[in-house]
Amino acid sequence: MLFLHETHLVAGYHEDDFEAWFRERWMPVLGEGDDARLLWYLNLAHGSSWSYRVVTITAVRNGAAWERLARRIQSGDLQDPMRELDTYRHDVTGKVLVPLPWSPLADVELASVPTDGAAREPVVYMEDTMWPFANRFADYIEASGKVYAKSLEHHDTGAPRFLEIEGGFQPAFGSHLRREVMLMQRILDVDRLQGLLTSDIPPEMRAPGTWMHDALSLRDRWDSKLLRTAAWSPFPTEVGDAAEPYAERATAERHRPGEVV
Amino acid sequence: MLFVHEVHQVVGAKEDEFEALFRDQWMPTLAQDDDARLLWYMNHAHGSGPAYNVVTITGVRDGAAWQRVDERLRTGDLRDWVSAVDACRHDVTAKVMLPVHWSPIQDVEFADVPTDGREHELHLFMEDTGWPTSSLDEYIQAWDDIYRQPLLAYADDMRAIPIDIQACFQNAHGSSVRREAMLWQYIPDPATVVHLISTDLPIERRAPGTYMYDALAFRDQWKSRLLRTAAWSPLY
Repeated sequence: MLFLHETHLVAGYHEDDFEAWFRERWMPVLGEGDDARLLWYLNLAHGSSWSYRVVTITAVRNGAAWERLARRIQSGDLQDPMRELDTYRHDVTGKVLVPLPWSPLADVELASVPTDGAAREPVVYMEDTMWPFANRFADYIEASGKVYAKSLEHHDTGAPRFLEIEGGFQPAFGSHLRREVMLMQRILDVDRLQGLLTSDIPPEMRAPGTWMHDALSLRDRWDSKLLRTAAWSPFPTEVGDAAEPYAERATAERHRPGEVV
Repeated sequence: MLFVHEVHQVVGAKEDEFEALFRDQWMPTLAQDDDARLLWYMNHAHGSGPAYNVVTITGVRDGAAWQRVDERLRTGDLRDWVSAVDACRHDVTAKVMLPVHWSPIQDVEFADVPTDGREHELHLFMEDTGWPTSSLDEYIQAWDDIYRQPLLAYADDMRAIPIDIQACFQNAHGSSVRREAMLWQYIPDPATVVHLISTDLPIERRAPGTYMYDALAFRDQWKSRLLRTAAWSPLY
């Protein structure tokens, strides 16, 4: 399975049109076939980094399905819709990702992915992208699964979990950078973000023997994005309290008077 | 057919080793089946851009073949090869491209692509990558209408072509930036480039009705790379 990761530079005036295009056109069009499904539609939280950035992740069955999709967009039935989408964004940067050997998300049963736009409670993700040192790429991939992912489970202390890795990915041949790893991490307790943002990491958490220390032999550059799912985003699939159709709550939730970032 | 375009930032001290890995391993290994072929191995000319940059373009039969090559690189028989290549480069940036509808190169007959490292004269290419302000489709069409067709007409009149557009590509969905296209241009006479570099463009060549002026309706940002084929590059 392939995962198309796209970072969209959205035209601010058109953010609602942009989102509607994905919700009302891209998601259902993909839902008509067996080749691909939109999984995540995520807003980069204002105040945490760039403005008006949206990340989408689309699962594609295999290389042949990806080529079919690419050709539909280049010269087929999706050429005009994609051209319309381009009027709602400045540009988009994409990369084709494949799951790491240890990734919890490796395959998706495409038929089970919702395409109805049902509303769900927003979920916040921390998307971490890392660039391992030149000769440590394979080591980092292995350690991120064996050491980092395990450490998040807090088996040793029994402490409540903060992050859960839902997927780990690397770019496929011929797409983007080679030496890059991306982790899609769901924040299980958003309130604990405050501590992460406002507290120094204590020395004992970056001493030899900790991931913060030992992983410096593998990489020291990464970038974190705080991404919030749109209410109708197909993933995550569980339906919370907000399970009414998107359209009925969209206006009230998205246009609070006086809300300025 | 898919075209995998890679820009390698080579470790200067290992440039020969890097080149040998492509010539002696990547090219012949791909030749063992029908999925892909190394097409071009190009050195970015020193003095015209970043140092120690190499551009390779690999032709891949289709999406299924591309996935097989990707799996071989990550977990199969090409894993050791790519690790050796990684040791010779700082990194690599890549994209998968599709020929646009008017591109002279649409497909490559793999059986005709040399894989034995035979040597030839070095050839100079100008790779132009543009980022339109117009729609991508209009930009791609304009390249044919107001750039390529006049060049072909000029070549007919003069019986010589200054810039031979061999291919035009756009990025496959999800592989890189969307609003981008690339011209792959052979320069038969390198003096053309020297003249371009050392001479101001006269005002009449950038007045309304000229390509330089009219193309501003579609873009004003592009980047040219001057690339020289290796002596053994399969295509040149």
